[in-house]
Amino acid sequence: MSKILIVEDEQHQRELYAMELQDEGYEVEQASNGKEAVDKVKNNKYDLVILDIRMPEMDGIEALGKILSRDKKIPIIIYTAYSNYKSNFMTWTADAYITKSSNLQELKDKIKEIIASRSK
Amino acid sequence: MGGYNKKTLTFILAGGQGERLYPLTRDRSKPAVHFGGTYRIIDFPLSNCLNSDMRKIIVLTQYKSLSLERHISTAWNLFHRELGAFIDVVPPQQRITEDWYRGTADAIFQNIYIIEMEKPEYVMILSGDHIYKMDYNRMLHFHVENNADLTIAAIETPLDEARRFGVLEVDESQRLIGFEEKPANPRPIPGKKDRSFVSMGLYIFKTEKLVTYLSQDHKLEGSNDFGKDVIPRVFKTDRVFTYDYVENEGERAYWRDIGTVKTYYEANMELLTETPPIDLYERGWIIRTYMDQFPPAKILCEEAESNTDVINSIVSNGSTINGGSVRNSVLSPGVKVHGNAVIENSILMHGVTVGKNAKVRNAIIDKRIKIPEGEQIGYDLKKDRKRFTVTDEDIVVVPKGFVF
Repeated sequence: MSKILIVEDEQHQRELYAMELQDEGYEVEQASNGKEAVDKVKNNKYDLVILDIRMPEMDGIEALGKILSRDKKIPIIIYTAYSNYKSNFMTWTADAYITKSSNLQELKDKIKEIIASRSK
Repeated sequence: MGGYNKKTLTFILAGGQGERLYPLTRDRSKPAVHFGGTYRIIDFPLSNCLNSDMRKIIVLTQYKSLSLERHISTAWNLFHRELGAFIDVVPPQQRITEDWYRGTADAIFQNIYIIEMEKPEYVMILSGDHIYKMDYNRMLHFHVENNADLTIAAIETPLDEARRFGVLEVDESQRLIGFEEKPANPRPIPGKKDRSFVSMGLYIFKTEKLVTYLSQDHKLEGSNDFGKDVIPRVFKTDRVFTYDYVENEGERAYWRDIGTVKTYYEANMELLTETPPIDLYERGWIIRTYMDQFPPAKILCEEAESNTDVINSIVSNGSTINGGSVRNSVLSPGVKVHGNAVIENSILMHGVTVGKNAKVRNAIIDKRIKIPEGEQIGYDLKKDRKRFTVTDEDIVVVPKGFVF
């Protein structure tokens, strides 16, 4: 079973994503900011990280750099309500950049695609 | 048409350790090594930038950067940010990782936020340790006219030297169709069995492509180097062109990769002819540097038993030769030569003193060394090997700080 880390400061959203992805058959863990996410990546092995950008303590962009310097190969999807962070070049290192929508289908498709390509 | 230079951000990679230039690089980075009496190597790419109207410059340093930073802040404090011109010296910021730069591509990646802030259309990447003259603007036009993603400056070299470089294979439109980094058996140029076409380590990128390449490269295992990793990965799918330096630069073309003490020594000695291969007198293409305020050089004969003779040599400001013989040598500012000393085929750096009756040949003497009366350097190589560095070519290097 593929293991996914969801990094999102809004508890309500985070739990919603977790539930939906568990229904898809993934094992899901949660972190509520970048700092927690970096700590979790240090101590666990994930097949994919879903990363929000605007978060307290440590934002997603800083976390992205720290996660990659820990583990270059880990796939990361940026999942944010804002499209303007594309102008921050650090976000280009993510495997995908998806703007949030009430329908999680785009996110789910992308997760499937990335995990399938990695398990080849 | 034009103005592309204003939309271009230039990075000069000045972090090279220059291990093969040891001990000249023991206390300074390679771009800070002195050259030709009054220059430092970094003055050449910086002067090319100035003369090509490239005025947004980031110098990336890493090791032993103090003398380099000091030099740039004194010699190159001439751009004004209000006019959109700057030379910023940037040591590693560790914004992205806590490591030193791994390769050339990683050095740019770790400073990607500078590109983000400046928003250039093109990024030019130069090496801080090459001695050459080049109009970068011409290469930039070539890049833009070809709608290239990446343009690599290239030069022909003899086959055996090509092993040190990235060897390029191009089609008739100068598009890159083959690339091998430091191959054991370099591919010759079609029709020229003994020559190869090699990368000068000088690149112009479309910004968006550069950022894409760097973000991909950051996630790959490898050395994060343009030559070893990025170019081999992208040239088959993207528009990668080569810019023929000699063909475009014409008679002015001169390029030396100062890799070793031998090439360093030879490049200095090349200056001692009537028309050196690099013309430092060209008024339209001044090589700028920093010089201490010294009176002009002075040649006397008071301390000598016979005439003073100075032949085929560069004698910089502040130097005095008071008797003796100076032949085929480079004297940097503030050198003092006393009675009946003999200096041949040598490079004396700033403030070196040569005592009476001392003899120096085939040697590089680092800054402020005091050679005592009657001392001999370059005559008994067995003895010299015990106290100095002597290269395979029998060039003696007296390192900075040596006390006789």
